[in-house]
Amino acid sequence: MRFWLQRVAMAVLLLLSVSALTFGAMNILGDPLFNILGPVAGDVNNPDSVKLIEKAKAEFDLDEPLVVRYGLWLSDFVRGDMGVQFSSDGQPPVSDLIKERLPRTATLVLLAQLMAIVIAIPWALATASRAGKLSDRISTMNTFFLVAMPNFALAIILKFVLSIKLGWMPLTYVANDPLSSRLWQMVLPALTIALPVAAVFQRLLRTDLITTLQQDFILMARAKGLSRRRVLFRHALRPSLFSFITVVGLNTGALIGGSIVVETIFRIPGIGSSLVESVLREDFPVVLAIVMIVAVAFVLINLLVDILYSIIDPRVRR
Amino acid sequence: MSDTDNLVHAVDTTDGGATNPADSPADEAVKRRLGWGFWLCIGWIVLMIVLAFLAPYLSIKDPNANFIDMSGKGRPPYGPSMDHWFGTDKDARDIFSRTLYGARISLTVGFVAIAFGLLVGGTLGILAGYFRGWFDRIISFVFVILLSFPSLVLAIMLTSLIERSLLTISLVLGVLSIAPVGRLARASTLQYADREFVTAARQIGATNRRIIMRELLPNVVIPMGALALLGMAVAIVAEGGLAFLGLSVEKGITWGFLIQLGSEGSTTLQKSPWIAFFPIFVLFFTVLALNFAGDRLRTYLDVKESAL
Repeated sequence: MRFWLQRVAMAVLLLLSVSALTFGAMNILGDPLFNILGPVAGDVNNPDSVKLIEKAKAEFDLDEPLVVRYGLWLSDFVRGDMGVQFSSDGQPPVSDLIKERLPRTATLVLLAQLMAIVIAIPWALATASRAGKLSDRISTMNTFFLVAMPNFALAIILKFVLSIKLGWMPLTYVANDPLSSRLWQMVLPALTIALPVAAVFQRLLRTDLITTLQQDFILMARAKGLSRRRVLFRHALRPSLFSFITVVGLNTGALIGGSIVVETIFRIPGIGSSLVESVLREDFPVVLAIVMIVAVAFVLINLLVDILYSIIDPRVRR
Repeated sequence: MSDTDNLVHAVDTTDGGATNPADSPADEAVKRRLGWGFWLCIGWIVLMIVLAFLAPYLSIKDPNANFIDMSGKGRPPYGPSMDHWFGTDKDARDIFSRTLYGARISLTVGFVAIAFGLLVGGTLGILAGYFRGWFDRIISFVFVILLSFPSLVLAIMLTSLIERSLLTISLVLGVLSIAPVGRLARASTLQYADREFVTAARQIGATNRRIIMRELLPNVVIPMGALALLGMAVAIVAEGGLAFLGLSVEKGITWGFLIQLGSEGSTTLQKSPWIAFFPIFVLFFTVLALNFAGDRLRTYLDVKESAL
């Protein structure tokens, strides 16, 4: 129990620090008034502009000290109110924008994670059981290529080959299509994110499997006359999954990072492409909200993995 | 990877038996040589650096000039030819020379970023590992905070707050490498701080400064050096990602920007794939070379994965 409380407290502390730093950086390095009003913010001699400035200051509490503003923002944020967008007259509110876009990104990331796992496990089993053979060496080379390939380059190559040349996959995402075709449109983007991640997973799981396959109980199982396939799936896989689970959690960051680029290339209006747009428009409430959502998701997933891990392997609790 | 490579030779599950790789002298020799692949990669990296450095002095085409062809080839983009090795983009600009010029920014950013990361992350990591106590706690917490963002998200957030110049983009990407480098430096320092030669140095009255500079640094620098090549690859990819999203050095030609130009709109990629694909190849081979060389170096220097 104490172990879990410690973990949860650490996660909360971490998120508070992250939000304070992000909020502070945006308000100190950026100029909120200018972002809200544009050039009018500097026009202090014109009474009309001054009126606008006063109104904006009152509306966004800009005259309060930074700490107070952080407190206000934080209490709003945890209640689900993420403020208004600076650009486009503040409409729709940031929380509505997020509500519309987050499910798409979540679907994409989840789909990618599933694909990565589904690709990595059979791949690792196949290569680990033939370690050192030609097929294994070719596969090792392929993982190297996949890991070195930047995701935007991979996206373009896959899009060119599968969508443009072969015509098997849809080119872009259309937000108004029915659910089934939207899911189909997500397959190629998800695959783009999943392939390099699958390569990382495979590399790790293969190493662990090879270590497990050298254990005596595997020899025992083989000596009893069990088939190689059965030994591989039933005896070797489970004890090899420990570090795999951790890495699956840790790699969520890579998935989210990948989704930003992929959403832009395949025109999926998720929070990743929204982040890029709002950075270019200097719309800080949106940037702040998205950065916080990503950080919360990232920290929560790692907390979950920690807890899951301690259930599977009680030794780490001490 | 060091374990993986050895294990490739070691395991034969068909008869259930296993040999220990460390027993075989031949394997030890393989491990202790960098191999021709490593030198091939270094060769490619050096070639890129030289070409990037000499780009303005080589007699290649002006990267910003428009080479409109009047002899009946129609409208640009033109495909690869003897005149334009990598073809031209839709403004008839030469992609070969633009790719070489792109190397200037991409490689500089990669180099400055990892140099900054090594300097700051390395210093913080060594000090934290050496002094421990509250300083170590604070520094370690800072590393955890830095690592609690997906790196691309952190980079995008930071670029939103600054003027995007060559220096600032490099430093932003440098900030990203502080935590991984710092953790490695801290772990290696912890590993050496209790060794006899450090105790001996302290016994004969060496100052902290001297112990850190003369006893610890030479040992910690080795694994960090192996990480540097990998870190440079990561920084180059990250810069490419930023440039692709339009968030890198303003008005600069970088590989990511060229690739973005080649894939924008709905028909550019379809009708003139060379615009995106030549920069992709060059970027890919450079990143692959850095990754491979870094990996070999790490195996060669026997840096343990667990220390990372």
